[in-house]
Amino acid sequence: MNRTVLLIGIVITAALLVVLYFGLGKDPQHIDSPLIGRLAPSFALKAVGSGETIDLARYRGKPVVLNFWATWCRPCWEEHPTLTATAKSVGDQVQFVGVVFQDDESKIVDFLRERGWAYPTLVDEKGKTAIAYGVGGVPETFFLDRKGNIVAKFEGPMSPQDLEVNLAKAMK
Amino acid sequence: MSRRMAVILMLLGLAAITAIAQQDPQGVKVPDAEQFVGKPKGTPLTGDDLTRKTQDIAASLRCPVCQGLAIADSPSEMATNMKGQVRELLARGYTQEQIFSYFERSYGQFVLLKPKFQGVNTLVWVLPVLALALGVIIVFAKIRNLEKAPEPKNAAAESAAPAETPEEDPYLARVRKLVKGDNS
Repeated sequence: MNRTVLLIGIVITAALLVVLYFGLGKDPQHIDSPLIGRLAPSFALKAVGSGETIDLARYRGKPVVLNFWATWCRPCWEEHPTLTATAKSVGDQVQFVGVVFQDDESKIVDFLRERGWAYPTLVDEKGKTAIAYGVGGVPETFFLDRKGNIVAKFEGPMSPQDLEVNLAKAMK
Repeated sequence: MSRRMAVILMLLGLAAITAIAQQDPQGVKVPDAEQFVGKPKGTPLTGDDLTRKTQDIAASLRCPVCQGLAIADSPSEMATNMKGQVRELLARGYTQEQIFSYFERSYGQFVLLKPKFQGVNTLVWVLPVLALALGVIIVFAKIRNLEKAPEPKNAAAESAAPAETPEEDPYLARVRKLVKGDNS
């Protein structure tokens, strides 16, 4: 009896330890996106500055880098030069799109005028686009292939290498 | 006009308002739940029912930008937006299951504060029950063992053995006698 109870106890404790190991080893803010491999949620949002409505569908046929960001987010400042420089260098081959996350349009305009403006930045109505993409913080970047499917997601500021690696997935 | 016709017209009107709300004259169109979970399967809620149900669902959804807080309890803009969306979906007739599915589609099971009974999550539900059951078994086994324990075999021998208790100690007996004044 005692041996059986001990064995069951060991099994339960081991299982609990496994659950804790995997649970505690995770970044609590990291979200495994269930959208990867699926068609990106469609939207048509107003562009900062021009006021033009830009529909995501218009970029179907070329890879899209969709970057959620805000001026109050310091890591977004860090990756901004990488994004603008890459957007300029790849030209029409890849479409870069910024989506404003919980920020004022005027602050975005000031920021872009000061630090470079290489692609359209869109205003998200009541954060609905961010919610549909499962954004849990900024910066967060989604990579869409030519068919409009999400092939990768990157959380945090991207280095040129991070951008290159993920862009390669979108360009396949 | 029949009552059924009135209800149909009301629902059509609601659908038209929703469509207008989703796509403004400038052509702005935000991602909509219908894109992911189809048309509403429930009855549109209003008033206190809407507020109560919004609160219930908001208490079960995790705020993605907070540390383990439900969107019902978080003051963050993200949580406020998500709660607003829950309210809007309920008002359009989406069911609780559809709303959970909608958020789960974007955020995965991360967004559900109560994990689903599937996959590795099954352990979260099963292990505490197993641990409790094991504890109960151990306690009952111990109680049973105590009840079954035999009487001490040497009880008689113990009574016959030289007394170690203070009452039977010869020295103490002599002291007592002296105290009582018995000098014999």
